Amino acid sequence: MPIQNPNPNKKKKKHSNQDDDEDDTVQGKQRTQFEFCKACRLNHNQGRRHIYFPNHKKALSSFLSRFQSKLKNDVAFYLKKPMPLRPEHAALNRLWCVFCDFDILESDSSFACSGNAIAHLASAEHLKGVKSFLWKYGGGMDRMDSFRISESDFTKWEKKCKLLKSEAAGGGSHGSLIGPLNDIHNESKSEYVNSFDKNKLDCLTSDVKCSNSVVPLQDHTIERSQISHSKICTVGPQILHAGTGVGLGARTPNGLPGFFGNQHYTHSVPKEGPAYSCPNDGKVYSYEGIAIGDRHSQGTSSEESRLQTQENGGGNVHSGAPPPWFSAAEKIQLDNKLNQGLGDLVSSLGEQMKTSKLNPKRVGAAWAERRKIELELEKRGELVRHDFGADWLPNFGRVWQSGSRKDSRKEFLGENKTWRKVDSQIEKPSQFQPYISKRMRTDNTAE
Amino acid sequence: MNYLLTTLTKKQEVDSMIRDTIDKVLVLCFGRASDSIFLQLDEILYKSVREVSKFATVALVDIDSDDVQVYIKYFDITLIPSTVFFFNAHHMKMDCGSADHTKWVGTFLRKQDFVDVVEAIYRGAMKGKLIVTCPLPPDRIPKFQLLYKDV
Repeated sequence: MPIQNPNPNKKKKKHSNQDDDEDDTVQGKQRTQFEFCKACRLNHNQGRRHIYFPNHKKALSSFLSRFQSKLKNDVAFYLKKPMPLRPEHAALNRLWCVFCDFDILESDSSFACSGNAIAHLASAEHLKGVKSFLWKYGGGMDRMDSFRISESDFTKWEKKCKLLKSEAAGGGSHGSLIGPLNDIHNESKSEYVNSFDKNKLDCLTSDVKCSNSVVPLQDHTIERSQISHSKICTVGPQILHAGTGVGLGARTPNGLPGFFGNQHYTHSVPKEGPAYSCPNDGKVYSYEGIAIGDRHSQGTSSEESRLQTQENGGGNVHSGAPPPWFSAAEKIQLDNKLNQGLGDLVSSLGEQMKTSKLNPKRVGAAWAERRKIELELEKRGELVRHDFGADWLPNFGRVWQSGSRKDSRKEFLGENKTWRKVDSQIEKPSQFQPYISKRMRTDNTAE
Repeated sequence: MNYLLTTLTKKQEVDSMIRDTIDKVLVLCFGRASDSIFLQLDEILYKSVREVSKFATVALVDIDSDDVQVYIKYFDITLIPSTVFFFNAHHMKMDCGSADHTKWVGTFLRKQDFVDVVEAIYRGAMKGKLIVTCPLPPDRIPKFQLLYKDV
């Protein structure tokens, strides 16, 4: 346990129990107790210094971006288009607020999925929580607003919800909020209820709702993707017919052999607006609709999904067809095999990548690069190895010289020549000294 | 002598060694095989050559051979064993607290010392520094008296 010395520079504490967390930042010593950093998920005794470490910054940015993406995907979507919440779906819709450290359940929310979550995110306690979190973990106080819902947005959302409620209550022919599907067009929709539940489960738990980005799990959710096609994409999900049994293969005028009965939808509902509620399917399958709606809002992969539906349109759990991810898995296996084959190539590329990242400022970098090329050429036999001459000397800083290294070499060569001259005069009248041009010298020993 | 590392006896061999070691530290030890300190140095080098093999190459040079006398003059080798470090054909200096930064004189007390020295050279070279400071404490650096020029 580190001993805490009284530090005259310490700020006065409001509460005595905070003394444990105070640190001697002035002296820079680790005198704090251990505390847990939520972002890095580790216990440290570095106190306030910890938030400035690069590792922490990295961990924090990924941590916050994860939560932010959750917010964006789920909450932002429902903020714009509130959907009524079914109690059975409610249990799956929970959001863990990282700032306030508690789970927001949807148990008794009458509003759309994440009604409770939206309410929490707009609340004052949440704001407080966000502030204290960012202060504690150094996230940057200007980012506060991205983690909460502003008052104006919240009121807008509430209005929309109320509208929806009134719509549902008022519009009799528009089907009931809760209750089985009474869709005369689609008889066997009940069969698909269960599968829809499953799909919805996947959808909700996998957080794939996003109105902006491309859906990554197209293969996974064939049924859902079938519905998503660009034409519907502009319209809100509540307009979507989720549960209509499409297995019948009823074709829409736009040619989509949809698994779900989007047909009506496409026909009759070209306009958007949360006020419009589809006549048949009711809100029971609003979730599935939501899931689908998410898809269709992108519309980019609609063509592929259409093709896929044509392939897998008929099969489902009840008809005994293989699950859609099975075929996807086969594809993945194939890919893996391919990848293994390419593994060698990749690894060699990786090595090349590695070497190419050597510090360009390292000593003799230019020379090394040139030499590498030369060696490469020599290997291939293109360039005949040319001897650098017997008098080549490396770049060397001599002990007793006080100039640059080139000078040292010159000096030495000068000394050498005199020495050699003396020798040569003694030995031979003429000694062959190969002439090394300046260029060759500078080429070899670039300074 | 088969208990020595690769010993170079010709200038051309030394040249090619210097020129062909790319992006690795080249450790050239000048000495005489009959010298016990040189043999001790060789022992230590032999034990560590594999460990530093990824970033260093080690070679010995026999100073008694005629061909390399020019190098001995060029590098001012007067005390043996002397070790000179190169990186990409550039000479690396190391400040060990002695007067002569251009080479390392003497042997290494431990294998780890040698590895530390080579590592320091490598790190400095990768950063673009031509001179580095010795990571060893002064008591582990062999002391010597530098002979003065023209003496």
